[in-house]
Amino acid sequence: MLKGESAVLETTNLKKAFKKNVAVSDVNLYLDKGESVGLLGPNGAGKSTAISMISSLVKPSAGDVTWHGKSVVKDPNVIRMHLGVVPQDIALYKELTAVENLRFFGRIYGLRGKELESRMANVLEIVGLTERKNELVKHYSGGMQRRVNIAVALLHEPEIIIMDEPTVGIDPQSRNYILEMVQKLNEEQGMTVLYTSHYMEEVERLCDRIYIMDHGKVIASGTKQELTGILSSEETIWLELDRSYPGLVAELNDMEEILRVIETDKGIKLITPKNSRLLGSIFQAAERQQAQIISLNVQVPTLEDVFLHLTGRKLRD
Amino acid sequence: MKSIFLLQLQRLRREPMLLLSMTGMTFLFVFFLGGFGASDQVEVPVYFDQSMNGKEQDILLERLNQSESYRFTETDQKTAEKQVALGDIPFAMKAMPDDYRMLIAADDPNQVLVDQYVKQVYAEELRLQEAESATGETDLRNGVEAALKEAPIGLTTSTAEGESTSGEYSQRNHFLFGMTLFFSIYTIIFSLSKVAEEKRTGTWNRVILSPVRKFHLYIGHLAYSFMIGFLQIVIIFSIFRYGFDYYIGGNIGLMLLTVACYTFAVVALGMLLLGLVNNLEQLNAIVPIVTVSMAMIGGAYWPIEAVSNSILLAMSKIVPVTYGMEALKGLALDQSLSALAQPLAILIVIGVFCMGIGINLMERRA
Ligand SMILES: Nc1ncnc2c1ncn2[C@@H]1O[C@H](COP(=O)(O)OP(=O)(O)O)[C@@H](O)[C@H]1O
Ligand SMILES: [Mg+2]
Repeated sequence: MLKGESAVLETTNLKKAFKKNVAVSDVNLYLDKGESVGLLGPNGAGKSTAISMISSLVKPSAGDVTWHGKSVVKDPNVIRMHLGVVPQDIALYKELTAVENLRFFGRIYGLRGKELESRMANVLEIVGLTERKNELVKHYSGGMQRRVNIAVALLHEPEIIIMDEPTVGIDPQSRNYILEMVQKLNEEQGMTVLYTSHYMEEVERLCDRIYIMDHGKVIASGTKQELTGILSSEETIWLELDRSYPGLVAELNDMEEILRVIETDKGIKLITPKNSRLLGSIFQAAERQQAQIISLNVQVPTLEDVFLHLTGRKLRD
Repeated sequence: MKSIFLLQLQRLRREPMLLLSMTGMTFLFVFFLGGFGASDQVEVPVYFDQSMNGKEQDILLERLNQSESYRFTETDQKTAEKQVALGDIPFAMKAMPDDYRMLIAADDPNQVLVDQYVKQVYAEELRLQEAESATGETDLRNGVEAALKEAPIGLTTSTAEGESTSGEYSQRNHFLFGMTLFFSIYTIIFSLSKVAEEKRTGTWNRVILSPVRKFHLYIGHLAYSFMIGFLQIVIIFSIFRYGFDYYIGGNIGLMLLTVACYTFAVVALGMLLLGLVNNLEQLNAIVPIVTVSMAMIGGAYWPIEAVSNSILLAMSKIVPVTYGMEALKGLALDQSLSALAQPLAILIVIGVFCMGIGINLMERRA
């Protein structure tokens, strides 16, 4: 079977412009049933806008979204009952308890009585809040609020869940809990997941396939191996310095063999062809500039490097 | 829709401060501005001549008590004479079928006013009786009374206490109506601002993604704001009507209808404002401005008759407060539905108009 042949969700040439500002353009992506797909990109890349169009909240300026082959743009109802959305912001009534929130959102999905109560118990168990379900949401920690935010999206047992940066601004422990939870939903319950983040570790860990977005466009896509394969002919040399040395940067920039020089606050990052044997010349340059090297690292490429390679910028700025 | 409405109630139960403080403020303002209940009425003890039977006595007492400024209470001749002689009360009145006497011990400024008022009541009565016997029509009295209540021109009588428009409409009623309408705008628009808040937090989108129709989502919010505003006004009116003896008209059904029309217009105006602003901060900034200026122009603070600037008068024509005040004043004067039809109809038109534009603007923004 060909890739995308069995896609449950597909977008074609999706575009959204706010007046003159083009937030998303020509986005083509698909999700197979049971797949976990990541949408990776820095802030402002257009991830949330893309998700809003996919989930039928925002009408695209051009292009289409289909769910099982039917246009979501023409009839939003084809996807709504099957879709759970975890918004980027905490979309809850904070003056109410977790249970009250869940009960309300369950009711508007037509759930009542025993069924509603058992689903509520179920999602509370999944997000690990059974013990504290009767506390006001505003008294929860950021991590707990995020978990209720997810619980609400799971209540009506959707086929696909779309999560918009569900771990932003929370402690590592809660974050880990959420990542594990998403993994379980995907692997054990076969839920299709579209996971948005600007943390590459997260999508690397969770997702079968990844789309990298920047300035409203998908600039690369594939499995992690495929993506880092883009850099198979390159390697990254990471030079940690005690302070900044503009002279050194200039000298390195002048070296023909070095593909790219990126100055960071802790040192200099160099992208070079693989096996280029440049270390000697780099040391000599550092010697000439009397630069203090704290450490030197030769790295295999990460998604971060892929992004860097494609855009010349870091993912998180 | 029911779920949306109930949810708002649940949220209100958790955070009732807005509603309570607005109701409380209205109460305090009316209470202090309008005076302390019945205490500003001049009390006049009345005793009757033996020639009057019980029914005649009741009719006369009722007629005399139609004024808000005086309270005529029944007593007997002995008590009255004793109290006046001892100086416990400044004066008392002896009522006879066609005439009256004032029993006075010391000079009292109110006595002149009471005398004037009673004279007027008796004169009217006599004139009516004469007319009746001349024409032989028995329902002439009803006709004349009805015509007086809905006099096409306002009769203004000057008294030592200042001007008062014809009938029972008094300064304190004005405060009651004005302050109540004024504060209710805050309650209504701030309760509607939950819509803007929900749009910001994202719960709005969550509901949009559910099978709930958008129409029902709006209706749920509108119904809730309507109910809050309506209740606040009705509660305040009830407190002053039953607790402090304010006369706000005899027709409770019409009163509720008037309050409903006004509340509807303000809810709709709130939707228009919501459609015009970009966020909650802007809304919070413009609500006091809009509310206060509407109350001023619409005559909630001082009677609209006091405004002479033609621009302000023109503006008052599009402000719901103007028509709310007009209708309530009509009610207090016991005008019939046909006299109230115009202000009520205008309120509904303003409401429909604002609602249409407001929802349209909001939807276009989305
Ligand atoms: N409602 C809107 N009106 C105007 N511009 C918007 C709106 N929503 C998003 N944008 C713009 O679109 C771009 C993409 O935003 P967004 O989709 O939120 O990115 P991300 O979720 O990847 O951080 C940004 O430049 C943002 O300013
Ligand atoms: Mg975003």
